[in-house]
Amino acid sequence: MTIVRMLGTRILLSILTLVLVSIIIFGLLEVLPGDVATRILGRDATPEALALLRAKLHLNDPTIVRYFNWLGGILRGDFGVALTSSRPITDILAPRLFNTVLLSLYAFVIYIPLSLIPALIQASRRDQEVDHVISIVNLVFLSIPDFLLGTLLLVAFCVAIPILPAVSMVDESSSALQYLRAMTLPAITLAIAMAIAAVRMLRDNLIEVLDSDYVRMAELKGLPPRAVLLRHALPNALVPTLNVTAINLGYLIGGVVIVEKVFSYPGFGRLLVDSLQYRDIPLIEASVIIAAAVYVGANLLADLGAILLNPRLRNG
Amino acid sequence: MAMTATATTARWSALRRSWPAMPMSLRIGAVILLIHFIIAATGPFWIPYGPSQIGTGPPLSGMSWAHPFGIDQLGRDVFSRVIYGAHIVIFLSLSGTFIGLVIGAIVGLFSGYVGGWTDDILQRFLEALISIPFLVLALIAIVAAGPAYSGNPILLVLVIALIYAPRIARMARAAALDIVMRDFVTVAKLRGESAWSVVRRELLPNATSVLLVEFALRAGYAPVLVGSLGFLGFGVRPPTPEWGLIMSENRSLITFAPITVLGPGLMLASLVVGLNLFTEGLSRILGRTVRLVDK
Repeated sequence: MTIVRMLGTRILLSILTLVLVSIIIFGLLEVLPGDVATRILGRDATPEALALLRAKLHLNDPTIVRYFNWLGGILRGDFGVALTSSRPITDILAPRLFNTVLLSLYAFVIYIPLSLIPALIQASRRDQEVDHVISIVNLVFLSIPDFLLGTLLLVAFCVAIPILPAVSMVDESSSALQYLRAMTLPAITLAIAMAIAAVRMLRDNLIEVLDSDYVRMAELKGLPPRAVLLRHALPNALVPTLNVTAINLGYLIGGVVIVEKVFSYPGFGRLLVDSLQYRDIPLIEASVIIAAAVYVGANLLADLGAILLNPRLRNG
Repeated sequence: MAMTATATTARWSALRRSWPAMPMSLRIGAVILLIHFIIAATGPFWIPYGPSQIGTGPPLSGMSWAHPFGIDQLGRDVFSRVIYGAHIVIFLSLSGTFIGLVIGAIVGLFSGYVGGWTDDILQRFLEALISIPFLVLALIAIVAAGPAYSGNPILLVLVIALIYAPRIARMARAAALDIVMRDFVTVAKLRGESAWSVVRRELLPNATSVLLVEFALRAGYAPVLVGSLGFLGFGVRPPTPEWGLIMSENRSLITFAPITVLGPGLMLASLVVGLNLFTEGLSRILGRTVRLVDK
């Protein structure tokens, strides 16, 4: 199979997955037995209010027509109008997505050294005290739920040593420094949560690579251990970690839902929780499809990256 | 992608080794789990106050001998609430994971055995379910069920099953693809056994070790899922002393009585530590590499 065909198949499958996701979301929220309007307004709603909402959501149209209208809108970049505020969803989503992208970038900047350094220490001191201690710390952190981790950081840096704000309020008028201060704790929480998986995987990969012949060769020709580790072993150990990073990006979308709630940070995750609380179905659908698209996109990029970085897959 | 199957043959004899010969992680995990199970089973009988009893002392107080986890805004003893909540958290987590395991194993093994276009369609569908971040899928499923069912424990159990079934199915399918190649499956097929019978009598027994580790792995994260939903206000209904919900109820007390939030949090974390250690030890005995990645 040529590389172009491989890449093409992968991209087509991703699109198919997203179409299926849209069907699942639409099916869950709008086709399930029971009236959508009643589910939004509750059982005590008056018949007039229900009729009004039904007309607003075009609930009297056949399901198939509604699905294709919705999907067509998304493809044109039009997510419709939010129920609660009657504002276009694109206008509501844009600033929230901006905040979350900023937060995620900040988290990724912390995540890279946070996963590289422990893994490198573990791999170079394999089966020594340090290796075991980091493994145990890792397992403990793995077991700490995000909302507890966030709360612990909150207690540490806002209550015990009050140097950071407990509530991460930012808006368009906030300065860059205010943004940075507000984002620090949520970003650290997300970075730790992501690094846990990466450290484990990177350590195992590094050790596997360190045992390979070409690394032995590099050692035997007298290269200093640091150069062997960083220049010869690390690049090869990073390729499988790409996959974890993609999984992490997927995690990040769920993670921001929790972390933004813990720190009251006005991002995409908070918006999603709010829209769920108010049962704002058009807004929920838009948010979830975006979340799934990010996940599918990240996995696609990781796969494409793995194909392009692997010379063995490049023949033909 | 939580686990990579390395060997398919169950090494049951390995499970029969003596206690001191078990891996350290399994022994520590088992002890922690045992303590949690004892608390869950007996807690409701020895807690000093009722889980919803108000006026147990001055509200909003921190740690003391009489109230190790402090007292919340309504004057309820947080320690009693946390201990009483243990059986709820464990019940929801284990039953949800178990239903997810049963559905996932049936779908995955069947899909791997039958193959062809049935398998293709199922795989695409499972992939799509996995592409929705699990917490987001859980939340929309709860909202989709409607206000009438919100806070219903059965709904929560089904939601956990919905999250795990596709992930477990993917693992079960991978195991099935491996087992299908064996001669005894071919023989069973030639004997004219039905697909269902081959799946049940040939595939299932040979996939038990994969499924066992998969169950333990998922069960380890289920309490976090239950807690996360409770914390966000989409879990069990408010007076229920579920740990995530207690943490979110006491969030405003964090500056002057942090123990009211950290107490339930540490109970949750210790349960998950126990489950994860146990899983790691178990997978080591069964000769599997487990990557605790997919949260």
